[in-house]
Amino acid sequence: MTQNDAGGSAPALRTDRLGRRYGHVWGLRDCTLEVPAGAVVGLVGPNGAGKTTLLEMIIGLLQPTEGQLSVFGETSQAPMAARLARVGYVAQDHPLYRDFSVADMFHLGRAMNPSWDQQLALARMDALGIPLKRKVKSLSGGQRAQVSLTMALAKRAPLLVLDEPVSSLDPVARLEFMGEVMAAAAGTGLTVLIASHVVSELERLCDWLIVLTGGHVQLAGPADDLTDAHQLLTVPRATPDAELPGLVIHRTDSDRHSTVLVRADPAGLAAQERPGWQADPVGFEQLVMAYLQRPSKAAARDDTAQAAARPGPATKAVTR
Amino acid sequence: MIWVSWRQHRSQAVACLGVLAALAVYAILLGTSMRTAFGQDGLITCLARSQGTGCRAPIHAFTDRFGSEVNVAFWSVLLILPGLIGVLVGGPLIARELEYGTWRLAWSQTVSRARWLTVKLGLVTGGLVVFGAAMTALITWYRAPMDRLTGHFLPNVYDFEGLVLTAYILCAFGFAVLAGLLLRRTIPAMVAAFIPWLAIRLVVEFVLRPHFQAPLTFNQVCPQNGSCFGGEGLGIIPPVTGHIGDWVLGSGSGQLANQSGNTYLYQPADRFWTFQFIEAGLFVLLTAAALGATIWLLHRRAA
Amino acid sequence: MFRFRLDGSSGVPPYLQLVHQVRQSLLLGYLREGDRLPTVKDVSSDLAINPNTVVKAYRQLEHEGLAGGRPGQGTFITATSSPALPEEQQALRASLEEWLRAAEEAGLSGEEVTALIAVARHDLRKERV
Repeated sequence: MTQNDAGGSAPALRTDRLGRRYGHVWGLRDCTLEVPAGAVVGLVGPNGAGKTTLLEMIIGLLQPTEGQLSVFGETSQAPMAARLARVGYVAQDHPLYRDFSVADMFHLGRAMNPSWDQQLALARMDALGIPLKRKVKSLSGGQRAQVSLTMALAKRAPLLVLDEPVSSLDPVARLEFMGEVMAAAAGTGLTVLIASHVVSELERLCDWLIVLTGGHVQLAGPADDLTDAHQLLTVPRATPDAELPGLVIHRTDSDRHSTVLVRADPAGLAAQERPGWQADPVGFEQLVMAYLQRPSKAAARDDTAQAAARPGPATKAVTR
Repeated sequence: MIWVSWRQHRSQAVACLGVLAALAVYAILLGTSMRTAFGQDGLITCLARSQGTGCRAPIHAFTDRFGSEVNVAFWSVLLILPGLIGVLVGGPLIARELEYGTWRLAWSQTVSRARWLTVKLGLVTGGLVVFGAAMTALITWYRAPMDRLTGHFLPNVYDFEGLVLTAYILCAFGFAVLAGLLLRRTIPAMVAAFIPWLAIRLVVEFVLRPHFQAPLTFNQVCPQNGSCFGGEGLGIIPPVTGHIGDWVLGSGSGQLANQSGNTYLYQPADRFWTFQFIEAGLFVLLTAAALGATIWLLHRRAA
Repeated sequence: MFRFRLDGSSGVPPYLQLVHQVRQSLLLGYLREGDRLPTVKDVSSDLAINPNTVVKAYRQLEHEGLAGGRPGQGTFITATSSPALPEEQQALRASLEEWLRAAEEAGLSGEEVTALIAVARHDLRKERV
């Protein structure tokens, strides 16, 4: 059984110039994305970059100020209950009702979600060794996280959204938590969206990437395509940006040489190469860090200039 | 969703039952002894015979014995008790979810925020109505013998019999729910709701209530060579109008044409239920306004 | 059941680490023809990695002829493994040891040897492009 049968071939998430304003400040602006069903997406950005704003609009906890949004075909104009049914959500700090027992939490899940799978919830608690009668306040942090995750998974929604899911957990609990998420993704074709500011952990989890800074999308697409579209060039210090192929994302200058991360495909690079230059492939973490360090105003300016020249986003179907 | 609302307010319901149980014990003990005394003191026959005008001695004996417990001990506590109950139940309803972040859990299930709130409010309001009615019934029952002497128009009786007690609780509840949504913190919400509730309560009781309907005037004719009894105190039984249950407000202006005497303004006893409906209606209207505003605001933020 | 492990700090892409571990185990005899590799779900759950990574590794192994998937049953080792290296590899190994001895006599440290190899491989790759 695959989760995304519910949406057919609709992308898991599509946004079109999505934006949200708080008073006079734009928390998110001009966000255009298309995420395919079945992807495991890493949403990266510093605190205050707009990650939570984007997630809350996807889930249905917040309404957009401008632009369009649809989750498996349900737009933000659809009835609230239909929208909420599409997304399972684990918020940061894994909120649960402290006086409830685990069984009470599942009763809540059953009462508030028509698609609730009680068997799944019970099986997970059994496998993890968490007693149903125990009150939430008596559980450890890792156990609470697992119960929160179970609440979201037992809802059987095609999209799972995790907001900084492991930031409050110890390393062992982290591994167990993400292991469970990956198992769910493997078994059911679930689309997963993980917001995090810990870049190092995302590489082995995600096959799709969104980088957000200053309320704008800096980078979005399948992880492999993105790393293939970038090169790390080692060039003489004196080389100006204008002579470099593609778009300069990040430049580090040493005494005699500079290391420049550019967005350019290998073909374009080969055409402009010079002796004394060296090109190396870019790692996932290097790529993300470079975009995080890029000033967002420069990003917006470059993106408008490059919009026509850039090829369309590759929506590669993800198979498991 | 009904189960969820019940489960979240279960401990509050148990506490309210506890309060009722404690009150019931007290009421039964006091009420039984009052009934016994009432029968024994010959008050029944005396009242039947002379409407109380000839029974001053046994009446005073009875009120001296039971009056202090009934009037002072309860009144100051019970004045604020409906407000306290209302804000204690209403304050956390939304504020707690916002304070602890559980709104992210509650409002991302497959239930719209509007439905979540209306079911909750419906259930809790219903519970408070039942609680208020039970409390009113208990108090009315145990006070019955005393009420035959004082009537129930006097402020310290009126506040707890009839409809207004339930209405007071609902109003405090409504204010607290709205405050919880606006302030997002439980204790500030409870305080911010209680203060206006108390202010309105006192203004209605002492300024507005005497004038819900235009008071009537009673002319007290003083005997030629006797003294006139004053008629304004609460403890005067029967009141200067001679009819048990009338509420004497104070001296009127104007003088009698020919004879010496005093004039008094009063509300007749048969207006009790009219006044109850007016006052309860006012507080229920305030409740509806507060809860309506809450539902509208929550819907607007989600939409 | 065969259990994989992952070294997050090694710099080697996860899927390649999985492939290497299967190759290594075959050479050492810990994996034999007919052995079933763990399911994609089990590996991704165990190591907390994207299931696609596991799929990629298994596909690479299929491409190299070391493993094959049977629909509905899982992925199985298909290569015959023997503790001994095939002859070509043995010959290469011999010339490599000779070269390493020469490098040592020339005074190269272990790190310099590794760096030299990396540069040479890089230049070779560039020649082919």
